[in-house]
Amino acid sequence: MKTFEEKWTAWLDGQLTGRELIEFESSLPDLAAAEAEKRDAQKLGTFLKKELGAQALNNEEFFSHQLRERIARETESGRDRGTRSTWWTIPRLVWSGATALALFLICAVAILRQHQPGEQSDYLTQILNSKVDPSANPNATVSIFESKNDNKVTVLWTEGLQSLPADYASK
Amino acid sequence: MQTEATPAQADVSEPDLVKRCQAGDAEAFDQLVTRYRTRVFAMIYNMVHNEQDAWDLAQDSFVKAWKSIGRFRGKSSFYTWIYRIVMNVTIDWLRKRQIKAGGAEFDDAIQLKEIDPASKTVPKADPLPHQRMERSEIRARIDQAIAQLSPEHRAVILMKEIEEMQYHEIAESLGCSIGTVMSRLFYARKKLQNTLRDVYENV
Repeated sequence: MKTFEEKWTAWLDGQLTGRELIEFESSLPDLAAAEAEKRDAQKLGTFLKKELGAQALNNEEFFSHQLRERIARETESGRDRGTRSTWWTIPRLVWSGATALALFLICAVAILRQHQPGEQSDYLTQILNSKVDPSANPNATVSIFESKNDNKVTVLWTEGLQSLPADYASK
Repeated sequence: MQTEATPAQADVSEPDLVKRCQAGDAEAFDQLVTRYRTRVFAMIYNMVHNEQDAWDLAQDSFVKAWKSIGRFRGKSSFYTWIYRIVMNVTIDWLRKRQIKAGGAEFDDAIQLKEIDPASKTVPKADPLPHQRMERSEIRARIDQAIAQLSPEHRAVILMKEIEEMQYHEIAESLGCSIGTVMSRLFYARKKLQNTLRDVYENV
């Protein structure tokens, strides 16, 4: 279903024919006024065509030259971008990321192992602390460190000890 | 649509040139540009009313056309296709400029409210300031009147009256329905009749 505006435009441009034309013209309250309006619109069209249709492009050849240069420049930069983007493909990025992560983990584990001190034996420390008389040595702490390596080194660390317990003998 | 190719260039059919362009032949594209540059420029100039802007927008349109010519399937004619690019570029530019300016150079809502579809376009009673207007003054009046239309209304009236394009070609170029084209044409004509009647009645 065409709107009034669509029918009017089609009528004005001579696009209405047959029954549609008869129906539209009979629906107009004042056909003579509408015809005058049509002539006026056609006059506007002719006027616009005459006044605006002659707009020239100065320096046509320079226009084309500038365009050719711009296209060549943009094609070249597009190629450069294309080359760069093909090197950094998604699989490459994934592989690079995974390799970097693996290297980082290996280095981290190696460094941690290197710097790991001998573990403190909690059980032996407790036994040693129980043998220290708290009244005679209020600030005393005794700790024992054992190396996990094959050389089996044990370090006894005492601090704040006023005197050794009488029944204590180091072996 | 008339084109401006030399006789030798005119021998080459447009579909052939398009095919060569799609194969990356810049020379073929140059020939297409030569055929349409004046019309494209004039169309844009009539919409933006500034030579430098029209030049830049015409360049942008052709660069876009070159970049996307691979996607042209030949369902419509080449000039309808290029006009679509031209219209997109120009209308976008006009819209951005309107936003930047922060004001309403054109307003469809106001425009539609101002015009009664059934109204008779009565000639302006104001007498002309001069008996004979200079050509540049006439041009300025036309530019002023067109500047009051929205970009879409400008495009429709210029394509119909200057380029003499068919409704369906305009619709394809603007990516809208034929009914929309006819409706926009109705309001654009009414508006221009109202504002320019004293000019074209006296020229």
